Amino acid sequence: MIRRFGFKAAILAAALAFSTPVFAQPLPILRVGMAAQDVGRLDPHFAVSTIDRVVVAWMFNGLVRFKPGSIDPAEIEPDLAQSWERSDDGLTWTFHLRPNVAFHGNYGMVTADDVVFSLKKSSTAATSAFAADFAAFETIEAVDPMTVRIKLRNPVPSLLGILTNYAGGYIVSRRAVEERGAGFVRSPIGTGPFMLDHVTPNQSAELVAHEGYFRGKPLLGGISYRFIPSDASRDLAFQAGELDVNYGRADQTWVNRTRQLPNVTVDVFEPGELTELSLNITRPPFNDIRVRQALAHAVNRAEFVRWRGADVSREGQSVVPRGYLGFINDPGLLPHDINRAKALLAEAGYPNGLTIRVIHTQLPEMLSGMQVLQQQLRRAGITLDLNIVEHATFHQQIRQDLSPMVYYSAARFPVADIFLTQFFHSRSIVQTPTAVTNFSHCDKADAQIDGARVATDLVEQRRLWAEAQRIIVREVCAVPVIETLLVFGRRNNVDYGYELNGSMSLGPLITEKTRLR
Amino acid sequence: MLGFVLRRLLAAIPTLLAVLTLVFVIVRVVPGDPALVILGDQATPEATAAVRERLGLDRPLLVQYFDFLGSALQGDFGNSLVTNRPILSEVRAVLPHTVDLTLASMVIGVAIGVPVGIWAALNRNGVIDVMARLLSLIGLSFPVFVSGVFLLLAFGLHWRLFPVIGSADLNDPLDRLHKLVLPAMTLGLLMAAYITRVTRSAMLQSLGEDYMRTARAKGVPRRRVVWVHGLRNAALPIVTVVGLYVGILLGNSVLTEIVFNRPGLGKIIVGALNQRDYPMLQGLLVIYCFLIVIVNLITDLLYGVIDPRVKAA
Repeated sequence: MIRRFGFKAAILAAALAFSTPVFAQPLPILRVGMAAQDVGRLDPHFAVSTIDRVVVAWMFNGLVRFKPGSIDPAEIEPDLAQSWERSDDGLTWTFHLRPNVAFHGNYGMVTADDVVFSLKKSSTAATSAFAADFAAFETIEAVDPMTVRIKLRNPVPSLLGILTNYAGGYIVSRRAVEERGAGFVRSPIGTGPFMLDHVTPNQSAELVAHEGYFRGKPLLGGISYRFIPSDASRDLAFQAGELDVNYGRADQTWVNRTRQLPNVTVDVFEPGELTELSLNITRPPFNDIRVRQALAHAVNRAEFVRWRGADVSREGQSVVPRGYLGFINDPGLLPHDINRAKALLAEAGYPNGLTIRVIHTQLPEMLSGMQVLQQQLRRAGITLDLNIVEHATFHQQIRQDLSPMVYYSAARFPVADIFLTQFFHSRSIVQTPTAVTNFSHCDKADAQIDGARVATDLVEQRRLWAEAQRIIVREVCAVPVIETLLVFGRRNNVDYGYELNGSMSLGPLITEKTRLR
Repeated sequence: MLGFVLRRLLAAIPTLLAVLTLVFVIVRVVPGDPALVILGDQATPEATAAVRERLGLDRPLLVQYFDFLGSALQGDFGNSLVTNRPILSEVRAVLPHTVDLTLASMVIGVAIGVPVGIWAALNRNGVIDVMARLLSLIGLSFPVFVSGVFLLLAFGLHWRLFPVIGSADLNDPLDRLHKLVLPAMTLGLLMAAYITRVTRSAMLQSLGEDYMRTARAKGVPRRRVVWVHGLRNAALPIVTVVGLYVGILLGNSVLTEIVFNRPGLGKIIVGALNQRDYPMLQGLLVIYCFLIVIVNLITDLLYGVIDPRVKAA
């Protein structure tokens, strides 16, 4: 009996030994620390804050995409569309979808119906923050289940730009949006390499790998996107090895300190956020061009760069950020010259200088810049009386035209048209029905901006954009100050899978090739 | 006792109604448009108007007010403008973290503050008293974002005893406790500093009373004189301070929550304010006020336990 039992036990043991599966090592989780209190809206068409933009880029695709690590529109490549053609007049575009692209979960494959639905959603003001980008769209239709045709009312400077993996270009699952309704903002369904598992409020968004991703199974098991508003705590956590990637401050001291940490790399990348001073040219004192010129002469861009740091910033060279399609580096900016500034002020009737009451935000990075500016202008006799308000209040009040000068930082899609239209076209003047962010009330270059938008000849288009920049600078509608780049730290074992020179999502793009070595 | 509790609860009803109204008004008086926050800085007036309409913010204020009041009285505070999740479920998700931190800080504060305060009072102007006063002054002078970072540097980075960040798993008591230690120490030490001073002052007053001299003259042991006769009579101001402090901690531990990256009521109140999430802000403030009412009620009940004359009155 004992012998029979022993025999059975031996067989059982052998069977177990041979049948025990070899468990695969779970794929690692990338831990990303972000300077934010919480994630907001994960419906990509409402992802307007940096924290939201960064994460939706990991979960969604567009018809086309920027090459990972680049923000060069010339390097836009196929994404959900595998090819496309345009009509000779540039008004009709036909996109052929990549077959067998799976949505997250059990939401099936991407069809033309999803693409049409997504683009219509993006172009509707009630369902998208980016509807204005689609103003030129006349029709969006599904030709067949894998073909989408877009007809435009007029040519746009970069149709592909609107359809990239950025802002309104993301494709969502129609069924998921319809099923989840308003809940889609926190339970989004896309096609990207990672999908949302859950959000712990005020803590983190946990993403898991989308195993059916059309470019291949991700090399990471997931991403833990952690919201850590305190810079000190986030830096300590990074230092303690609790984070793999850390949002950095665009500040030379931070960069130098972080570079000294062992096994850490600091990535500084595009797009640069251009800070400009918009001067309301319709009201005193800036309705006198001599006062505007005096202020422009008083601004010391080199000093701004020394303050912020040469690795993370550069002087503003035009009213359009550097590297944008159509940017020129010689628009005729007035040089820093305190004596000239004082003379112009005296000529304008302010021999003893003047005081300007300006509304500004309490957001630390913007407030410190304004304080530097305040000191610079004081040397020329211009006193800024700052009315510091909370950030949301700042945005509301500057749109109510309550500040004669607005210190504003922005990055946009890298084509001159967007910046020029939103900041310097009369259609965008604040307190008008079509307002965006034209705080200066500038209308001097409308003809050039409009002309460039519909120009079919690229050389002519660039000439018109260049002319617009020269006019705006000559009229001193705005004074470009500084461009600040994006900064992230990462542990050396993080391999993004591409060279990070730029990211339109304002954070490192985590792709299927990103891995932890 | 039941009558006392009922009287207090009835008295809280007009307070809560006033709070509901005030909160509604204050939230709307604050400048900043939720639609603009949702749409970002490229929003056009047309898009802003569309979002305001979708959120019901274009309706007359009175309609919005009665809608809010009616729902709130039924315990429904609506959904967040940001997450579209029910506000009560958002609060439920963070409330345990806030309660943990508040209670742990209170325990640390009382456990350190009361004995040290008594000890200092018993050694008035002696070395112990001077040291207690000095340390409590230092404790009060350090803001939590400084003391918290110091604790993180020492215990999180240098000795690696505790994590720098990380949310506790509410289903794992050990993990919950582990991640509570540093934040509770940060707030608890601050509270202890305050309680030490109040206890010392109350005890000094109590020690000088006639009944204390009588007790000592009757030969009551010193320990009993101090802990029973002295402390019981000094307890009212201490309980008052602890009650006040607990109320403050419930909503104002936001700095500690930020430094240690903990979820909590304070943090979501600040987030809702930044995002101009009106329903969330309204709901949170009402819930916060309700918690304060409860804390005050408990404090009042404790008065009755400590001093029966209060109950009789």
